Formats: sequence, C-alpha cells, structure tokens
Amino acid sequence: MIKIKDLQKSFDQKKITQGLDLEVKDNEFIAVIGRSGEGKSVLLKQIVGLIKPDAGQIFIEDENVTNIAGKERQRIFQKCGYVFQFAALLDSLNVFENVGINLLEEGVPVKEVKPKVIDKIEKVGLNPEVLDKYPSELSGGMKKRVGLARTLMLSPKILLYDEPTTGLDPITVRIIHELIKKTHDRHKATSLVISHDIEIFKYADTVAMLHEGKIVYKGPTKDIWECDNPYIHQFIRGLPEGPIQS
Amino acid sequence: MIIKAINLVGKTTIGFCNEAGSVAVFTYRAIETMFTTRIKFKKVFRQANHIGINSLSVVLLTGGAIGAIMALHTHHGLEKFAAESYIGSIVFLAMAREFGPVISAIMVTGRAVSSMTAEIGSMRITEQIDALKTLSINTFQYLIVPRILATTIIMPFLSLFCTACGVLFGYIISVYALGINPETYQESIRQYAELGDITRGLIKAGIFGFLISSIGCYKGYTTWGGAKGVGIATTQSVVYANVTIFIADYIISSFMTMT
Repeated sequence: MIKIKDLQKSFDQKKITQGLDLEVKDNEFIAVIGRSGEGKSVLLKQIVGLIKPDAGQIFIEDENVTNIAGKERQRIFQKCGYVFQFAALLDSLNVFENVGINLLEEGVPVKEVKPKVIDKIEKVGLNPEVLDKYPSELSGGMKKRVGLARTLMLSPKILLYDEPTTGLDPITVRIIHELIKKTHDRHKATSLVISHDIEIFKYADTVAMLHEGKIVYKGPTKDIWECDNPYIHQFIRGLPEGPIQS
Repeated sequence: MIIKAINLVGKTTIGFCNEAGSVAVFTYRAIETMFTTRIKFKKVFRQANHIGINSLSVVLLTGGAIGAIMALHTHHGLEKFAAESYIGSIVFLAMAREFGPVISAIMVTGRAVSSMTAEIGSMRITEQIDALKTLSINTFQYLIVPRILATTIIMPFLSLFCTACGVLFGYIISVYALGINPETYQESIRQYAELGDITRGLIKAGIFGFLISSIGCYKGYTTWGGAKGVGIATTQSVVYANVTIFIADYIISSFMTMT
C-alpha cells in the first residue's frame, strides 16, 4: 500500500505538489492523470526517493520512507519497480546487459543470469533474439518493454509507470497497456500509472486526477464518463473551457 | 552602482564556495565508496585503457613539441654564456618536474575528462542514472570510482611518456639542428638529474589525474537542462579542470621544494 500525506514540493518559486494526499491500496491498479507540467512524474520520483519532498510523508507498506537514505533506500527500490517514460536504458549496454544489470553487478555468472533474462524478455512479449541488440537498434515500443523487463527482474510488489505510452502509435499503445494489465494481474502487484492517455481507463481500477499540485478527484474508472466532477469532465473530453485554465 | 558591484562580488563568492563545497562532498563520497564497496577492476582497467589510448597520441605530440621548443629557446639564451652544454639537463628537469605532468593533464582534460562529463551528463539527462538508482545499483561504484581510479593510475604513465618524448625531441633538435654533441646532451642529464625529479613529477601527475577526473565526473553527475546543459557542463569541466591543474601545480611544487 502507498499512502501519501500532505506532500509538498517546489522548484525555486514554482510549486509542484501542494499538500497532495493519495492512498493506493494493495493490488490496486490506479491511473493518475493530469495536464503536462502538473508534477505527475515528480510525484512518482518522490515516492521512490529520487526527489526529496519539502514536506509531507510517504508510506510504503506502512513504513515511512520520506527521509530514508543509503542502504535503506535501496530496500525500497527492491519493493518499488520504476518504469521510465523513455525507458532510460543504458545505451552502452545491450538488451541482455540492461535487463540483467542488477544480477551482473552483484557478480552472478552470465550463464545463471541468462535464463532469468530470457524469461522476463518473453514475459514482456519480446523474442530472445533482441538480447544482443543495443537500445539504439530498438523501436520505442520495444525499448519500453525492455525497460519493463528490467524492472521485473527485481520482482517488485509495486510498479510505477511514468507515462509508458508517450510517443507511441495507437496499436503499440494498446499493446503496452495490455502488457501493463497482464503484468499487474500476473504479479499481483500494486500498479500506479502516470498518463494523460484516456485509453488507460479501460485497464485501471481507479483514476486520480492531479491539478495544481493536489488530487482533485479519485474514483473508479468504470464510472468515469458519467462523472460530474468538473475537472474530470473537462479533461477527459478535452474541453477548452472549464476549471482547468491553460 | 556600488551596491550592484558588491552584490555581484558576493554572489560570485557564494557561488564559488557552493561549487567548491559540492565538489568536495562529491569527492568525499567517491573516496568513501572506494573504501567501503568492492572496486570493479574490470571497469577500472577498461577506463584506463580508454583514457590512455585516447590521450597517448596528443600527449606524445605535445610533449615532443615542448621538448623541441625548449631546446631551441634555451640554446638561444645559453649560447651567449657559452653554456649550451646544459641544454640536456634543462630540458630534462623542466619536462620531468613541470611540463610532463602539466601538459599530459591538460591533454587528458581535453581528450578524456570532457568525454567523461559529456557521457555522465547525457546519462543524467536521459534518466539513466536515476534508472541505475531504482535498480539498487550504487551509481558511485558503477560510474564514478572506476573513472577516478583509472585517471589517477594512468596519468603518471602518460606523464612519463610525455617527459620521455620531450627529452627525445630536445635531443634531436639539439644534436641535429643546433649542433650540440650527443655525449654532452646525455652527460648533462646524467650529471644533474635525480630519481626524485622523476618520482615527484609522477606523484604530481597522479594528483592531477585524481583532481581532473573528480571535476569531470562531478560536472557530469550534476548536469541539468537537456542537451544545452551537457554542453555547458562539458565546457565548465574543461575550464575548471585546467584552472585546478595550475593552482594545484603551484601548491604541490611549493610543498615539494620545501621537503
């Protein structure tokens, strides 16, 4: 479970999160939506500790992780898998080295790492033939799958996705969404997906909307199109007029 | 006007102190990592190989040129006092004590430290460093320590090659262009050179290697602001590293002449 209480973060004068509260239950699949620049990615980075909040508290499985550092922080990384917006694959390493990096750095022999990497690569719907390829030789969709395979190597209980479908064509968007859903169900994980793609509603259980540094709505996705919340109404229909001002 | 000037001086001083403090903390973290985690020798060797091969040709070229130029200039001055026989020792001492370590450090800064900053900076802006962190990988152990260790280890070798090349080209110019007796050149070196001149130069080179690679890694690691940010960080790392070489050279030389 993830519990966020009164989270605040500013960069210079710009306030990003302003007293944000959010609770994500175990095994829940939640989509956090909001306009670009609302601080959705900053929220995710604060959860895993890549960015330190100015104030507020973050709990992961009832443990306050707001100010932990060093080896303690590494323990949190083992629980929380993070899938980056542009996959963030190490461009000097091939797919095998990227996915197996964690084990390889621990000194686990290649012959032991390989079957595990192949297993994860197949789970994300890729052919093991890609293992020798470098990130520059992969398409956007393939990079995101490799990024997910790399995250799955740690068998995390919580999966955080930072705009996983940005820059992809509609067919690949659907494939990635289905893959996220399949991974969520198979691993019985808690999934938090940052997105501004309304297609995510077909897969997520809950939707939360971030606006001006706060969660202005949280509710089930099945009722989303009937929702009378003015922010949701405007956002999902892409209306220029409403409480969300450009 | 005066207040503006005071403001500017204050801001610059605070900025400099901030930056110097951050580099110190960064370097301390790197040293701490060296002693508290397993050193990845394979990575250190790969980096040393990369830095050495990349920089060797320019180090030899500039070392040779400096040696040749020094032979020319000292001959011009010493000729007036009929003291041309000292050319060999002057070229050797200058190369071993000063030019070898300084020139090779400047060349390594241009060739390897700049690429270190650009590489780590690109990793920073494309979230590759964040990705390593989320995979529980110690980024200092993985990225920083191998580069700092490799540069510190390889610099004395480059300095030695630079010195040797300078002395050799000084010899060629002295003997074949200035008509100095080859025996005189060699005898002059034998008479005045001490092993301490070489070892001090090598120690200096090692310290330069440590300092410039720390600056290069720090600037890369703290890069922000996209592709433009990588460009700025790379330029700054080269400038800061070069300035550091000269300041450190003075301090180390003063210390060495005292002992």
